[in-house]
Amino acid sequence: MVSSTDSTWGQVMTDAAVPVTQSAVETFTEQYLRTLGCDIDKHDNRWAVTTPNEVDSELLTDSLTLVCGSDVGDGTAEELHPESQFFQTLLTEASERTPTGKISLETDDAAVQIPKWLQGSDIEVRSADFTPYYDRTALVVLFRVSIETVSEYQTELLQAVALDTRSEEFLPTLEETFLQIASPDNEAGTSESMDMQAADIRPLLDTAREQVVGRIQETIDEVHQEASRAADAEVEEFRQMQQQRIQELEEQLSNLSARIDDLSQQINSSDAGERVEALKERKELKTEYEDVETELDDLRQCRDQGFPERQREIRARHALDVQVKPLTITEVEYESGELEVVLATDEHTRDFTAGYGTGVGITEVVNCSKCEKKLTETNPVRDIARGLTCLDCYREE
Amino acid sequence: MVSYDLVDVEVTHGSADVLLESLSQDSDDHIQSVQATRLQAGQPDSELRALKQLDENSVKMLEHQVDAAYRALFKMDGKALLADEVGLGKTIEVGMILKEMHFRETNDSVLILTPAQLAKQWQAELREKFGLDFICNYDDEFNGFDDHDYIIASIDTAKSDHHRSTVLKRDWDVLVLDEAHYVKNEDTDRYDLIDRLTYNYAFFLTATPIQNELTDLYNVISLLRPGLFGTRDVFHQYFIDSSQETLVNRDELHERLHKVMIRNRRAETDIDFTDRTVDTRTFDPSPAERELYQAVSDYVKGAYGQNQGQKLVLMLLQKEVVSSPAALKHTIEKRLDEQSEPTHADELESILGLIEEIDTVTKQERLLDIVEEARDNVEKGRVIVFTQFRATQRQVLDRLASEGYTVHSFHGGHSSEEKEQIVGDFEAEGGVLVSTDAMSEGRNLQFCNILVNYDLPWNPMRVEQRIGRIHRIGQKRSVYIFNMALKDTVEEYVLDRLYHKIDLFQQSVGELSSILSRLEESGTSFEDEIFERLVNAGSEVDLENDFDDMAVDLQEQRELADKLEEFNSGVFDGFDLGASDD
Repeated sequence: MVSSTDSTWGQVMTDAAVPVTQSAVETFTEQYLRTLGCDIDKHDNRWAVTTPNEVDSELLTDSLTLVCGSDVGDGTAEELHPESQFFQTLLTEASERTPTGKISLETDDAAVQIPKWLQGSDIEVRSADFTPYYDRTALVVLFRVSIETVSEYQTELLQAVALDTRSEEFLPTLEETFLQIASPDNEAGTSESMDMQAADIRPLLDTAREQVVGRIQETIDEVHQEASRAADAEVEEFRQMQQQRIQELEEQLSNLSARIDDLSQQINSSDAGERVEALKERKELKTEYEDVETELDDLRQCRDQGFPERQREIRARHALDVQVKPLTITEVEYESGELEVVLATDEHTRDFTAGYGTGVGITEVVNCSKCEKKLTETNPVRDIARGLTCLDCYREE
Repeated sequence: MVSYDLVDVEVTHGSADVLLESLSQDSDDHIQSVQATRLQAGQPDSELRALKQLDENSVKMLEHQVDAAYRALFKMDGKALLADEVGLGKTIEVGMILKEMHFRETNDSVLILTPAQLAKQWQAELREKFGLDFICNYDDEFNGFDDHDYIIASIDTAKSDHHRSTVLKRDWDVLVLDEAHYVKNEDTDRYDLIDRLTYNYAFFLTATPIQNELTDLYNVISLLRPGLFGTRDVFHQYFIDSSQETLVNRDELHERLHKVMIRNRRAETDIDFTDRTVDTRTFDPSPAERELYQAVSDYVKGAYGQNQGQKLVLMLLQKEVVSSPAALKHTIEKRLDEQSEPTHADELESILGLIEEIDTVTKQERLLDIVEEARDNVEKGRVIVFTQFRATQRQVLDRLASEGYTVHSFHGGHSSEEKEQIVGDFEAEGGVLVSTDAMSEGRNLQFCNILVNYDLPWNPMRVEQRIGRIHRIGQKRSVYIFNMALKDTVEEYVLDRLYHKIDLFQQSVGELSSILSRLEESGTSFEDEIFERLVNAGSEVDLENDFDDMAVDLQEQRELADKLEEFNSGVFDGFDLGASDD
């Protein structure tokens, strides 16, 4: 029998989650403490941290010593490593401090993003010029998704969803750009308070949530299958146990019946005193017989129906609980306009224009000039002699 | 394969209210909060932190072992079937895992269940290599399963009526089950015990998860991860072609096994052992030695015929007579002093007389040939001489010293510091180290490549443990094993008819333990078997035939073990179960 355990040994890694290495721990802690206004004096792996009076943090005392790693050896310093209490508390505090905010992606900030269907081919991108026309706004939400069932370890995911606030169009490239900007490897850039109001955000959150559930459907299905198997095994085990009980009761019944028969014979052939005793005993046995018979009938009936109640109970216990919760919301201002791209090979040049957004990349579908199929990473542009020709068409030629 | 829509999926959307309340806040450091959120969701960059605490001289971890320990702990949430092919060090993997759990303080109570004969070996390995102290149910200090937190026990002791309820009453943090194929059959008490045990983490070990049929795998895995394969019937229908008894849907089986099973294969690891040369030398005993051997054998046979209760001491005498007259003398004098056997006093006195008759100890003289050869041919003339008896050890040491050899003595009576010192001296000064089997546990002497079995344990594991001291990973030279035996003695039978038949001197510990486990499974102890045959044989010819029979049994066990190994390789062929999925 395996008792259930908490997930001491870690959880499943996801797209938006980042590996918590010692260097990430140290980088983030230093940045965070400096943001709060703390002074850090480093000697080897010992950090002497001085905190200004006005800092409101439960974690920090006026002066504090941190030791990087887990072999501290004394009670006067706090350990700083991926699993240390100090770092975990610091993360909680930091994540709850400003979960919402606004950033802007200016043209200068983001180099022009060449679509994947143009990367990795022999075609040279000679120039790519962006002309911004409008200011647009997108929302990027980080969702924590947890999938739980009794028989499986909890699956936890962190998913980023980006969508344009007006068109509600999903912007996968912006998700990547945002995660890049908010990578703990980089110094955190500036941000300000959000302009959007809660009433405007709620419907967008609903749309984003649906998107998240859709994306993780495959994972849900996998866990679902595992849970169903475990439930089936339990139902089967229960069925076998009940079958065993039925057999026991049948034996018990047949024993009782034999004893009742014996007593009946005894009643016929014995004297008055013994007869009364035997009658009394037979009565008790008959009651017992009836009780057993009732239990047996009930069990058989349940068995014939497939133990519906128990099945329901087991299946309910194995049900999957999927929780989707937004943890951070970021309003992202970006510029939308047109990108003019000039492509070249040894013999030809070709230009095309497509809708583009800063950090968002090309916003419209570009098709193969020949087959009209969408150009993608797996079916990229391969030739520009007669329009933009995709790899599939090029092979057929 | 199952109609999984019968289990409900409920999607709950967590409220965003708190989040939206923060909209008006000062948000200068928002990106830092996003970074913190991402780090919070990230997995700690798990590493085996106890690794650096290990003493490299005690244990050399191989890459596949570290990888297995890592996966079992971090990728399989502490529930794994370690199914490496034999000889790849599954015990080391578990040692590593337990050390790591100890480091992280997640091992308040640990129960290791093993076949009886391997319990002490587990105890020694964990102590010597990983510094983990376990009590064994064979220790005098063992006071039951509720009295200690780190226990190694034979599975049969644990399931016995006397202990069963105590074992089951506890919530164990960690359960380790060696030779997990012992629980393949769900109708046995062993299976029932494991099924009822309560534990948080479990590590099962076997080189051959499948013993007879594919459902063995189902049973073993279902104990570890109930439900992984669904019901028995479903497993059968889905994975086994019943007409052929072969596997179908292998990819899916692989996928599911990958969640719980680690199997490294020899061919994929970098383990490379140097050559091992075995030189068995038998010598004609002197007439006096022959007479002594005969007298002791007659006495043992007669005394055992009268009283089987003194089997252990009689077995001891039979072993000592071929080791050295000194060893024998010590035991016989003790028996006479204690007057434990007044009825046989005359016989024992006459044996003492025969011992006095021996001027030259043949084995001792022939040992000089070997050490002299070594002195001329190997670095610092290093030779290890193993004997089972302290008295023999003393006599050999005296003799070698009188011939001018540098000698070192090692036995169980030394403290650990002294033992370190002795091994260090032997390495630095060279010469001959004469050791009792106390050396067999845990210590590595790969700087020496010549070993002499001055006498032979009747337990093949012991022999292999001796050899394992020098023939191990890190040994760069060929290894030479010399076996010494007197002609027409039990030692010659054991050597010639048994050990050579099963190729004992060429087996790895893993291979041997799988043969012996099978033997033990059939309820036989190797030493008892030898002794019984020796004392019960009517004539010399009978004795030879008896030993031949035993050799045939062993050979069969070996072939069975080989076949099983082959069968399992076949089943798991093409399964990349050792590789990480990242």
